[in-house]
Amino acid sequence: MESADRAEQFIPAGLASLGIEADEIELAVMNAAHQMFWPSILDLLALDLGELEPERDPDLSRAPERP
Amino acid sequence: MSALDLSLLGQAAAIAAGDADPAELLDAALARIEERNPAVNAVVETFPERSREMLAAAPEGPLRGVPVVIKDEWPLPWRAQRFGAAEMMTATAPGESGPYRALHDAGAVIVGVANMHELGASSTGNTSVYGAARNPWDIERCPGGSSSGPAAAVAARLVAGAVGADGIGSIRFPAAYCGLTGLKPTFGRAAMAGHHMEGISTTIVSGPLCADAADCRLLGSALFGGDLAPGDAAGLRIGVIRDPVSEDVAPEVREACEIAIEQLRSETGGEVREVELAGLDAAALATVLIANVESLGESSPERLNDLDPEISPINRGFLKYRMLLPAAAGVKSYRIRTLMRRRMAALFEQVDVLAWPTVPAVAPPLEAPLVELPSGTLTADQANVRGAGLANLTGIPALSVPVGLDAGGLPIALQLQAAWGRDELLLDAAEALERANGRHWVDALPPLAQVEPTEA
Repeated sequence: MESADRAEQFIPAGLASLGIEADEIELAVMNAAHQMFWPSILDLLALDLGELEPERDPDLSRAPERP
Repeated sequence: MSALDLSLLGQAAAIAAGDADPAELLDAALARIEERNPAVNAVVETFPERSREMLAAAPEGPLRGVPVVIKDEWPLPWRAQRFGAAEMMTATAPGESGPYRALHDAGAVIVGVANMHELGASSTGNTSVYGAARNPWDIERCPGGSSSGPAAAVAARLVAGAVGADGIGSIRFPAAYCGLTGLKPTFGRAAMAGHHMEGISTTIVSGPLCADAADCRLLGSALFGGDLAPGDAAGLRIGVIRDPVSEDVAPEVREACEIAIEQLRSETGGEVREVELAGLDAAALATVLIANVESLGESSPERLNDLDPEISPINRGFLKYRMLLPAAAGVKSYRIRTLMRRRMAALFEQVDVLAWPTVPAVAPPLEAPLVELPSGTLTADQANVRGAGLANLTGIPALSVPVGLDAGGLPIALQLQAAWGRDELLLDAAEALERANGRHWVDALPPLAQVEPTEA
């Protein structure tokens, strides 16, 4: 419930800080998108990828070079 | 039988041999569109005079005189793309896109522009400024997106080949829903010039949608600017993953794909290996985030406050929501890409292809695109991205092939993925599978295309 409340605050607060207007339907869509994506985004943010050596100038048409 | 009912390869051969008149073929395609398109809304614009000019100027290429359609994602010299939307976030203008030039140089004749999901934003194809395209297998069902029109046009046999685009499965989803073969090429191999995201997107590619692999090879060769030479896929090492992409799928889909994998193994004298690939869920999310982050360059609060009211509420809301995505999530998505590219490189030392269902369930209803899976009810978009995003994230090629029909007569499809640059192997494998199943599924026609056509 607490996280749902936070989500309900996140979208209006975020839009307001950016100066983006939204009607009720758009807000409903955003709430649905938030419920769908946000838990996974939090999981992604929690991943520690610090030791992963970056791929320098990746060429997506080829296999990566060995790190 | 009309020459229009031949394969793409057959039409090209008939014209080259003098057995078919390309002008008559063009007229037949236009008449077929007039006759069948109202039911499927696959083609949103024709331009007979431009098409005739293309034919008159067509060089002696491998597709000389063969009619095709192109997705509303590519500009033409006489028409800017609309991206299926009342308004795009990017300025566009008529021009020579890479796919247009490739088709022109191959001698093909663009007979129409094909519908697509609004702003390329869904796997369903159920929303478009032109009205939704409809699935020829059941016009109340989604044709798949975002290349909805290209797939519906080929499935309804308005034409034998279509050019689509695939940023997160957008060729493979409609190929799967409409019972076609669709190739998402290795990133950077197929013509991309003139796309409004050229040089920005790291996920989008152009690619062919056709009935079978041979036609995809022919049309793909034009888009690649070089022959996709055939091989034999002998001794194919097929990797399967016991993960949601293979397990959390509708029972009929799972069964048909397992049969197809065994047929492919048998036909190639190969082997099936169970392999593991960690991080698929993160890869799917990373693909979505990267595709959205890369599209943000043209967004601004002022712009978003002035969106065309004809843009669907879902896209209006989502265009605004993505402005709130944390930058750290975007950055981490690129790290996930690195991680998955390395994992895929290691995996392709063990196997030649990875195989799993293209989509976990058959085409859902247009009005409510939900799918029932063992894990529960999901939106089609949620379910579909799990198995498709990986190829766009990592750059590898992927192909969807039809492998069955469910009890309701809707197509089931298998996805094959291979290492970077092995697009040809995917086509070889698809041809092997066609031999193994007697071309049963690539030759299957939807009810709408079985109607005896009235030719011009």
